[in-house]
Amino acid sequence: MVHVRPGAGGLRTGTGAHPLVDNRRVIKWWDPDRVGEIPDYRFSLANERTFLAWIRTGLALMAGGLACAQFLPPLAIAHLREVIATALLALGGLVAVRAVDHWARIERAMRLKQDLPPSRFPAVLAVVVALGALLLIVTVLIGAAND
Amino acid sequence: MTDPGASRERTRLAWRRTGLSAAAVGLLAVRPALHPDAGPAAIVLAALTMAGWSAMVAVAYRRARGLNRPDPAPVRRAVLGYAALTVGIAVIGGLVVTL
Repeated sequence: MVHVRPGAGGLRTGTGAHPLVDNRRVIKWWDPDRVGEIPDYRFSLANERTFLAWIRTGLALMAGGLACAQFLPPLAIAHLREVIATALLALGGLVAVRAVDHWARIERAMRLKQDLPPSRFPAVLAVVVALGALLLIVTVLIGAAND
Repeated sequence: MTDPGASRERTRLAWRRTGLSAAAVGLLAVRPALHPDAGPAAIVLAALTMAGWSAMVAVAYRRARGLNRPDPAPVRRAVLGYAALTVGIAVIGGLVVTL
């Protein structure tokens, strides 16, 4: 289907670049390395389910953003409701993009029988969500103090 | 066809519940257009959302059929397409919120 590039395997270099800015990595989403050998289909399907779980995580963030805009009363800080809604929607989109990247990296690692790629993304996402929750708590308290 | 670990069925169900999650997001994005005095922008965005959701269902359906093969291959196009549609709905949602 796609042209075969037997020599293109190799280990990933360019450790300095940020994952989502490294354009070689983005190209690999479309143009897979036909390296190594196709893993047991059950492993590929497990990878696919992990991808889908991340997509649902992104969709849940997006649903939270839309619900925030539609069901919250205006908050104590002007426009904070819209800012939170937009931030959650953007975060959901980012999670979806990252889901593809992670899927492709795992698929590649499995073909090459390498260790699965480590990721700091879940920790970063957790911190961002926690900070957002903290911001909301502070806003609610400010609103309560003003009443 | 043996399927130790029921990985085909679990994957099919994973696609299905992801589609249901997308439906929930889609309905929230469409909601402003159901208001009696919804503007044309809200209606256009709602139509785009429904088109995107239909495309997601189509991708998932195709993929679920591919799972019936004896040796289901990894599907880069389905994964990329599904994620792209998710991002598209996120963008539409952003417009729904800000417009």
